[in-house]
Amino acid sequence: MKKLYFVIALLLVASMVLAACGGAPSEADCTKADVFCVGMVTDVGKIDDKSFNQSTWEGVKQAESDLGAIVQYIETTDSKDYAKNISTFADAGYDVIVTVGFALGEATAAAAVQYPDVDFIGVDQFQAWQYDEDTTNDIANLAGLVFPEDQAGFLVGALAAQMTKSKKIGGVFGTDVVPPVWRFGEGYRAGAMYINPDIEIFIVYHSDVGFDKTFTDPEWGAATANSMIDKDADVIFGGGGKTGNGAVTAAAQRGVYAIGVDTDQYYTLPEAAPRLLSSALKLLTPGTFDLIKLAKEGSFPSGNFLGKGGYAPYHDLDAEVPAEVKAKMEEINAALLDGSLQTNVPPVKP
Amino acid sequence: MAKSAEQTTSQSHDLRQILRASMDALLVPLLAVLTAMILGGLVIAFAGGNPIYAYLGLFQGAFGSTKALSETAVWATPYIFAGLAVALAFKGGLFNIGAEGQLAFGAVVSALIGYALPDLLGISLPAIIHIPLAVGGGMLAGALWAAIPGALKAYTGGHEVINTIMMNYIALNMTSFLLNAPMKDPNPLNVVARTPSIAESARIPPLFEGFRVHWGFALALLVAFLVWWLLWKTTLGFEIRTVGANPDAAKYAGINVKRTIVLTMALSGLLAGLAGTIEVTALNYRHELGFSVGYGFDAIAIALLGKTHPLGVVIAAILFGAMRNGATRMQFLTQIPVDIISVIQALILLLVAAEAIIRYLYRLRAREERVVLTRGWGG
Repeated sequence: MKKLYFVIALLLVASMVLAACGGAPSEADCTKADVFCVGMVTDVGKIDDKSFNQSTWEGVKQAESDLGAIVQYIETTDSKDYAKNISTFADAGYDVIVTVGFALGEATAAAAVQYPDVDFIGVDQFQAWQYDEDTTNDIANLAGLVFPEDQAGFLVGALAAQMTKSKKIGGVFGTDVVPPVWRFGEGYRAGAMYINPDIEIFIVYHSDVGFDKTFTDPEWGAATANSMIDKDADVIFGGGGKTGNGAVTAAAQRGVYAIGVDTDQYYTLPEAAPRLLSSALKLLTPGTFDLIKLAKEGSFPSGNFLGKGGYAPYHDLDAEVPAEVKAKMEEINAALLDGSLQTNVPPVKP
Repeated sequence: MAKSAEQTTSQSHDLRQILRASMDALLVPLLAVLTAMILGGLVIAFAGGNPIYAYLGLFQGAFGSTKALSETAVWATPYIFAGLAVALAFKGGLFNIGAEGQLAFGAVVSALIGYALPDLLGISLPAIIHIPLAVGGGMLAGALWAAIPGALKAYTGGHEVINTIMMNYIALNMTSFLLNAPMKDPNPLNVVARTPSIAESARIPPLFEGFRVHWGFALALLVAFLVWWLLWKTTLGFEIRTVGANPDAAKYAGINVKRTIVLTMALSGLLAGLAGTIEVTALNYRHELGFSVGYGFDAIAIALLGKTHPLGVVIAAILFGAMRNGATRMQFLTQIPVDIISVIQALILLLVAAEAIIRYLYRLRAREERVVLTRGWGG
């Protein structure tokens, strides 16, 4: 037994020494009024997922460098922890809490009611109080960060119209009953027509099936993309979950240009990466930063906050895109951002 | 007078023996946990973190406040059920790797009963009927899912390890299909694979207002007692343990071995199903993909750490629950990735399973009695 105690004592001493080498974490008291703290809770996923979590975190990091905010994140490993992870920040006196993704919508709304002094940013969480029974937005400290899908669609539509040789382009989407999907599709059409009013555009929405299937049908997406390519289309834009991914992947396999959606799918669809011309982006990084800045200035909005759309880099195909096309894209992007160019796509399908 | 003195001595001798036995049973797991924490601390230090702050955060997050205690109980609840499931199967000489699938299947069925039954019947059910229906349905689903590999084992000799793993794939992929398609929340704004919320009448209430810890935790403790009672105080329990210890002797003694194997698996699956069911009816109020990832596998570690004894399982489940729960605060304080918790848990499992390492490390005498994990491939 003596030996046992000796071993334990030795191990304890070893861990103490290790602790002394480790250095203390920087303690910041977020409960103080002059300390501005921003916490972020991820979806069930990693902070470096090359998708929504990472892009949002970059926006939070920008708040650290530009606004002097104390920033911190918590990765969620189990969906039942959403509420707990949010309240970990709230209880520590954080001023702004960013939650990423639709799945956290309910937990975020509940926390916003529970912690009225904290500003909540729900990334990609559409605030649907208009459709509630009382149609009043009673959560003043919650802003849903949503995006102008029509502008992102417009950009890649313009790009597709400039890159096509056959003057025929295609788009494969989930159901047009979901407004963001429809806006991506109609924005794409508008952007292509803006470059060339005579262009032939094949756009198909997967509205022939129920909500259960419309976003999870990669086979249909691939088959639809292939039939468009058979009709000479040489650029395919896929939008709408796995259905859109199926179309993008099929297009890449056939060797035509493929365009992804939401985030830069060069990183999330490696099988399509070599032929991925661009992606229609929701710009989470500046949107998140803008909202944090508004919170710091004390003019935090409530309801839905419209972020910006964009297009992803050309990556492997950069050499194939002529300089004048690149210049034109930048010009269109600037015009969309300053409002001098309108997509003329209504918010919902009329 | 002399007689009674003798009795007292023998009684105190018995008591001391029991104490010694339980000390001995506890020593290895305790040392395994300690050693794993120290090795984990080395990993944290190697990754550039501070082990003391990390463990401080872990402890605060798990036990530092009433809210933390409540959350630890929330985490421990499915672990207790699933750990009991694996432990019960171990006692019967069966290695149930399928708790994960049984849990998922139980969760799906109880969610279905929870949200669809009132509409189907066209009436609103009172909670006193709806809760037992949802919980019972999930339990039966888990039992059924486990009985299949049990029957395959008993009547065809198909090894339960292989078959429960296969049943996991079927259950998890079927769950993914169901939550993405027929059972998906039909709200047009919903993009997540999840069911609609279950009816209010199917929800198990929290124990205390303002905390998430629910009656499922109390039920878990009760069920742990029932499992102990079943195993050591009933004929069926005796049969299960006898079949587990030596099926040939059990057969010779007149026990229906095949029936006992199927029954053991079904009971094990019932407990695993309960783990999923309670998460749906008492905590999440719906089933969603991304919940319960790995509970069934953690349960194997918990059953082993608890030495397949119900009380040991409860303690091990609370320990694992505390680590999972405290991980949030640890990450918040030190920004060490939560994955380190999985590393520590794996180390604990490794050290408990390879008991010889601990015995060698701390110069402990070997115990004669050993845990029978599972019989060989032919058994």
